[in-house]
Amino acid sequence: MSNGATQMLVSATIEFLRFYPPFDRMEHEAMQFLGEHVKLAYYPKGSLILSPETGVVQVFRIVQRGKVLVRHTTEVSVMDPSSLTLGPGEGFSIGSVMAQRPTTSSYTALEDVFCYELMAEDFFELMQKSSVLNLFCTQYLASLLSQSRQQLQLQFSQHVAEQQTMNSPLTAIIKKVPLSVTPDTPIRKVIELMAAGSIGSMVIVDDTQQPVGIFTQSDVLKRIVLTGVNLDDPIRRVMSESPYTLPVAANAYDAVLAMTMHGVRQVLAVDEGGRLQGVISERDLFTLQRVGLRQIRQAIDAATSIDMLLHASQDVRQLSLNLLAQGVGAEQITQFISALNDTLTQRIITLNLDKHDLFGIEWAWLSFGSEGRDEQTFSTDQDNGIVYVCTDIMDREQTQLRLLDFARDVNADLDACGFPLCTGKIMASNPDLCLTLEEWEERFGHWIRTPEPQALLNATIFFDFRPLFGKFNLADRMRLTLLRRTRNNPIFLRMLADNAIRIVPPLGTFRDFVTDADPDHPGTIDLKQYGARLFIDAARIFAMAHDVTATNTVQRIKQAAPLMNISADKAAAMIDGFNFIQLMRLRHQHAEQMQGREGGNLIRPDELNEVERRILKEAFRQARKLQQRLKLDYQL
Amino acid sequence: MSWFANLFGMARARRALALAPEQREALANWQQLPAADLSFMHNRGRYVVVDVETSGLNMKKDRLISIGAVALVDGRIDFNDVFQVVLRQDRVSTNENILMHGIGGSAQSEGVEPAAALLSFLGYLGKVPLVAYHAFFDQSMIEKTMLEYLGVELGQTWIDLAWVLPSLFPNPIESRATLDDWLKLFAIENIVRHNAVSDAYATAKLLQVAIAASNQKGVLSPAGFIRMEKDRQLPHKIGSSDGLVCG
Repeated sequence: MSNGATQMLVSATIEFLRFYPPFDRMEHEAMQFLGEHVKLAYYPKGSLILSPETGVVQVFRIVQRGKVLVRHTTEVSVMDPSSLTLGPGEGFSIGSVMAQRPTTSSYTALEDVFCYELMAEDFFELMQKSSVLNLFCTQYLASLLSQSRQQLQLQFSQHVAEQQTMNSPLTAIIKKVPLSVTPDTPIRKVIELMAAGSIGSMVIVDDTQQPVGIFTQSDVLKRIVLTGVNLDDPIRRVMSESPYTLPVAANAYDAVLAMTMHGVRQVLAVDEGGRLQGVISERDLFTLQRVGLRQIRQAIDAATSIDMLLHASQDVRQLSLNLLAQGVGAEQITQFISALNDTLTQRIITLNLDKHDLFGIEWAWLSFGSEGRDEQTFSTDQDNGIVYVCTDIMDREQTQLRLLDFARDVNADLDACGFPLCTGKIMASNPDLCLTLEEWEERFGHWIRTPEPQALLNATIFFDFRPLFGKFNLADRMRLTLLRRTRNNPIFLRMLADNAIRIVPPLGTFRDFVTDADPDHPGTIDLKQYGARLFIDAARIFAMAHDVTATNTVQRIKQAAPLMNISADKAAAMIDGFNFIQLMRLRHQHAEQMQGREGGNLIRPDELNEVERRILKEAFRQARKLQQRLKLDYQL
Repeated sequence: MSWFANLFGMARARRALALAPEQREALANWQQLPAADLSFMHNRGRYVVVDVETSGLNMKKDRLISIGAVALVDGRIDFNDVFQVVLRQDRVSTNENILMHGIGGSAQSEGVEPAAALLSFLGYLGKVPLVAYHAFFDQSMIEKTMLEYLGVELGQTWIDLAWVLPSLFPNPIESRATLDDWLKLFAIENIVRHNAVSDAYATAKLLQVAIAASNQKGVLSPAGFIRMEKDRQLPHKIGSSDGLVCG
């Protein structure tokens, strides 16, 4: 009866939408569905169409006529200027509808506005029907991702700007009120305090908190050990008197000048009353300067002592933070950290080779785990091993002992440079991980043949190996053997896949996120265990099943995708998801370390802003897609 | 048979008897519906916006050719809640007239039998306030045809946007404005002018504009529209020159 009339209006709607992307490319059936399910609404000029207060967005809107003003209401605004206008053919707000959340922006009719409105459930059905729309929305989310990256960038650059100019006053540089002691404090007590707090220098103050002296680590050697002074004597006997002070209002540049002119390594900041407010060291000022990659590399290559390398490793961290602040993506930063850590490790190895004679042994230093994948974050411990060749079985024990001696020193030096010893003893100095090529191959083979739980766990650590030093071809051979064994062993891959999908993305059915996986830390999500790992594990299986030699997760996905008929767009979305989680980990670790805590991986979704929550959710969905692919491939 | 009834000039009641039993039942069902509620909030109820095409502008002589209707439900136009019917014509309208609304000769003679067409319109309409631009014309044409073929009065409330809009937007255009003037003012496109559905769709958009404006003035229901219309039709109450011209 009224079909003709409906079709007339539907056709007119389709005809209108066809002028605008993505509707210009959308499938005919999908457009018909869209035309049949939209309703037309009117918003007079000045009326508020949508805002964070209007709650979960149940309607997707497409402007038919008029202009809509979008204002970002998040604290840190991304766009500059912080608003934009939508015109005919433009839809909003995809992200909120998809995530079924309130919007972060407010939408106001800038003129009289007619809008086509599509209910959320119809929108989802449309996405099912239309791969064009699906792709459009995926790309839209990807653009949100870069938007969020810009947001991070802004946060960090504000942070950096506050701290990073030589004009900043000393108050901005001082981290905390320093420890101080009175002149009568026994030397022993002072040294104990310094040792306990890893303090480089102790300030001695009088009753009015005015500094009267300073005592540094290097003074211990010169003035105490060498002179054999009694440790029960008061500190005033050995301190340097009249330390150099600057008013807190002085700036960093003044401090640099003072240090250079007076040849001191510390400057004390005092308030108007001359009372101690802080200690500024050379290192504090060094972090103010922009440290370049090349400078750090040169510093590492030129380093002749562990002390110098320790400084370099701190510079690596500082530079990573700067890069984070400059908006460099997680993929680049983690690779960058890994690369510099490689250089550092290589230097430590070189320094130790002077002390250890490994002449005549063919060997290579291997890194495993995140380092093996070029995915190190700020918090990272050691995961390494050695592969060597033993031509004569009689020499084996002797050779291994020499390598273990050497490895112990390297492990200790790495520890001294800020790579804590591995609690799981995954270190080259562990005889179990200092093996001949044949032994490694045999071990891999054993895990593959008998994939018991521990073997599967080992596979997730050791199969991501990468040579760092020595004969790289040994590692290449290990890889070839490994891939030859795994690609012909669907049972092993299936077990690995089964293991990989055990941990599901923490997406809730009713809530956005499942945050109670860890009873000790309610309200949190472990982004390593329940985030990054899901991508890493799936990518490893993709790689092994398709002869991809890369160990890096992003590279694995990129290289395996075409072999698995995963489109470039879909692969890119997966990679974006992984990178976003890595970025959040980096940022979180940085924030934790700024507050003097050990950087972990536990984040609180409640504390994220709207854009981040939405993208994190999408990132988890991407992890789910990877897992679904595993389920499909291995019929799990 | 309508031609039969016309031919012999039978009484109204007798014509109703010409209806098939199921048609009589449908009519009775419609008649028993509770009267239209005029107190609902604009965005919480259903309006039906109507436009008719006729063989000419003479309300006495000319015949109803087509009814187009678009409903506004909860403030939104729903493309699935629209209506169109062409009434079967014994005499095809003039070429000039056909060029106007585009309903050709064969479409006219192959249209729906008038009583059935009107009953399906009533079925679609239910009892809700009707809206049109220059509603008097649409109302007269439909009522006249209903009386002729169904033997009953429509007896529904009509809201005329030609009266309501100048009350809400006093200055913008001449009060003798046509539908096209208003559409132009609000930049509302008409898909096909003088197609009953298309005109009803455009008029429905005007109704959306009118509702938004009247909500701002605190006129929140169809009853409010009707009061507004009556006030305007009494020139002494308004006292404004455009009101006089309009009246």
